Amino acid sequence: MTSTRIDRRRLLGTGLAVAGLPLLGARRALAQEGGNIRMMWWGGDERARRTNSAIDRFTAAHPEVSVEAESMGWDDYWARLATQVAGGNAPDFIQMDYRYMFEYARRGAIRPLDEFLGEELKISDFGDVNLDSCSVDGKLYGGNVGVNSFSVIFDSAAWQEAGVEAPSFGTTWDGFAEKCAAFTEGNVSSRVHATADGSVQEGLFEVWLRTRGKALYAPDGTLGYDAEDAGAWFAYWAEMRKAGSCVPADVQALYKNSPETAPLVSGRSVTDFAYSNQFASYQLLVPKELSVVGAPVLDGGEPGQYLKPSQMFSISSTSDEPEIAARMINFLIREPEGAKLLGLDRGVPASPEIREAIIPDLDETGRKVVELISNLSPQIGALPPAPPQGAGEINAVQIRIAQEVAFEAVSPEDGGARLVDEAAAILERA
Amino acid sequence: MSAYDAIEGGKSAARPETSGWLARAIHRNGAGYLFLAPWLIGFFCLTLGPALVSLYLSFTDFDLLTSPEFVGAQNYVRMVTADAKFAAAIRVTLVYVALSVPLKLAFALAIAMVLNRGMRALPAYRAIFYLPSLLGTSVAIAVLWRQLFAADGFVNSLLATVGIEGPSWISNPNYSLYTLVVLSVWQFGSPMIIFLAGLRQIPADMYEAASLDGASSRRQFLRITLPLLSPVIFFNVVIQTIEAFKAFTPAFIISGGSGGPINSTLFYTLYLYQEAFSYFRMGYASALAWVLVIIIAIFTAFSFLTTKYWVHYDD
Repeated sequence: MTSTRIDRRRLLGTGLAVAGLPLLGARRALAQEGGNIRMMWWGGDERARRTNSAIDRFTAAHPEVSVEAESMGWDDYWARLATQVAGGNAPDFIQMDYRYMFEYARRGAIRPLDEFLGEELKISDFGDVNLDSCSVDGKLYGGNVGVNSFSVIFDSAAWQEAGVEAPSFGTTWDGFAEKCAAFTEGNVSSRVHATADGSVQEGLFEVWLRTRGKALYAPDGTLGYDAEDAGAWFAYWAEMRKAGSCVPADVQALYKNSPETAPLVSGRSVTDFAYSNQFASYQLLVPKELSVVGAPVLDGGEPGQYLKPSQMFSISSTSDEPEIAARMINFLIREPEGAKLLGLDRGVPASPEIREAIIPDLDETGRKVVELISNLSPQIGALPPAPPQGAGEINAVQIRIAQEVAFEAVSPEDGGARLVDEAAAILERA
Repeated sequence: MSAYDAIEGGKSAARPETSGWLARAIHRNGAGYLFLAPWLIGFFCLTLGPALVSLYLSFTDFDLLTSPEFVGAQNYVRMVTADAKFAAAIRVTLVYVALSVPLKLAFALAIAMVLNRGMRALPAYRAIFYLPSLLGTSVAIAVLWRQLFAADGFVNSLLATVGIEGPSWISNPNYSLYTLVVLSVWQFGSPMIIFLAGLRQIPADMYEAASLDGASSRRQFLRITLPLLSPVIFFNVVIQTIEAFKAFTPAFIISGGSGGPINSTLFYTLYLYQEAFSYFRMGYASALAWVLVIIIAIFTAFSFLTTKYWVHYDD
């Protein structure tokens, strides 16, 4: 008995159930399973509702585990997470983004999950491509919560009213521009435009680059496109603006990277661009029925899209209870009970079995997203190389320069050159 | 009778002489320091300590996740030689300070003079005019402002009634900063209260004598009100200038944290925040913070130096 160290924190964490147990040997076995998990994620109300109900289900099945959950918006999330990691009180259970995963993994802030594979974490049926996408330097750092892809969202009834066939799978970039121009002709309201201004959207820019055989970043972490590519991109949208096909600059500038601020939602355009897991949020905000298809393609070009691990669940390297956190990850992404509660909010589940289990419960909106992911197959290319450090800052630069072009402060060509210059400077500094 | 006398009085005389200034100081003022302790502990642990750490961090490269790496003055050098965004932030902030402070003070003084005419229910008016200052720095007001000046906002609805189609004020780089200036002017309450107190100190017989001598009200304002109010004006200028340099919330909320469109609302503090919490360059952000301290110190010192030319003290 003297050799059994009674850990006060664990004892407190496991609570009265432990204190009331008559046998000390039994306490030891249970104490290993019990514990307190702190969990943090970013996202809106709907995600919080879904996640909290899944956590409740998990703690109901495991009464010895207690979970402290916290959620906030995207910007606050990364500031708070970095501060907590620096302060040595990182949450055990961390919602991770593809871009940040590399930075956190390489700095040793999140732990490799390989030791839990097949035990707590039974996710081998996700497939090698998927597991690789959540790995850094050959080690797995996150359980994929869902895949998404960039998409075009639109109000099909509005396109029909204008007498133009709406964009569909396989619509080319030129075809998209023509359709938008035709919409403008058949359109009665000067306030409503065919599409949002896509020039600020990094996801769309990436698809466009990939259809031209380029990429945002090369495997060695340098820029994957040149000034000419970027100039052509800005020029495409300058034409759209001139033709009245897309919303004017000051309308697009209201967009703050959230569905609530999108031109489609404020009724200024009938088409918009977003990652597929956001489709449901757009549909919630727009009273008309929305449709979703893949991004435009290039005739004879490369497949532009890819299945992106939208988010993953990771474990802090300083967590005292990594086994429990791993078991919780498994519950949320690989057990139908938990995965059903999360739904498609974080993307389409990677496991075929879970996908099958979820489909019967999906509403119309959810079914459209699953359909989108299946229909995209011919346009799906390889996963792009990991974004280098500084990628987030370059995204902000692209938005600023796209605005400069839109407000006609610089020409599309100069904007392209400027983007490449500034991006190169950021990469050099990072 | 002071607290010191109440507690220590009578006892100290009986004590033997203690050696050393520290012991004597504690003996004589111990109770005073005890009462000050909450503030002293807060100041040393929560203000001075972190400030000194940030001074050290400003000479490092620190990304929060790995330990700080000393880089000398590199952060400061980069700021003045190679950072276009820093220059943009300085420009935006100076324009904001130069516009918002004089406009706000002029507006506050005008309202204070109206209220000083001896009207009924003065406390009620004073409270109403002060209200925006209480709410002003809150997130809710910034959100409200975004609604007012949006393309379909209240301001444009008003303009539409007279047949003007207004732009989307907050998302147009030509106007967005000015909506923030207007927001600042609207929060004129606290300088107004101080002006009002100052105006009440000016003896009424001075104005009476001036009117008897036939001075116009404009002349009275220039020759009596402004000179006698100058210490209060000076105080307000210093405080409001510091406040304006430190402004953050409105730009953060209205631009969604980006300082956009096209850096048009990139307040210095917002740029500092981005460097620290969006790009995790804590070393660089600390250097930015210290440069802001220096800028504010220079402006404040400059204001103090000019006082002998325009501030009149009675004594």
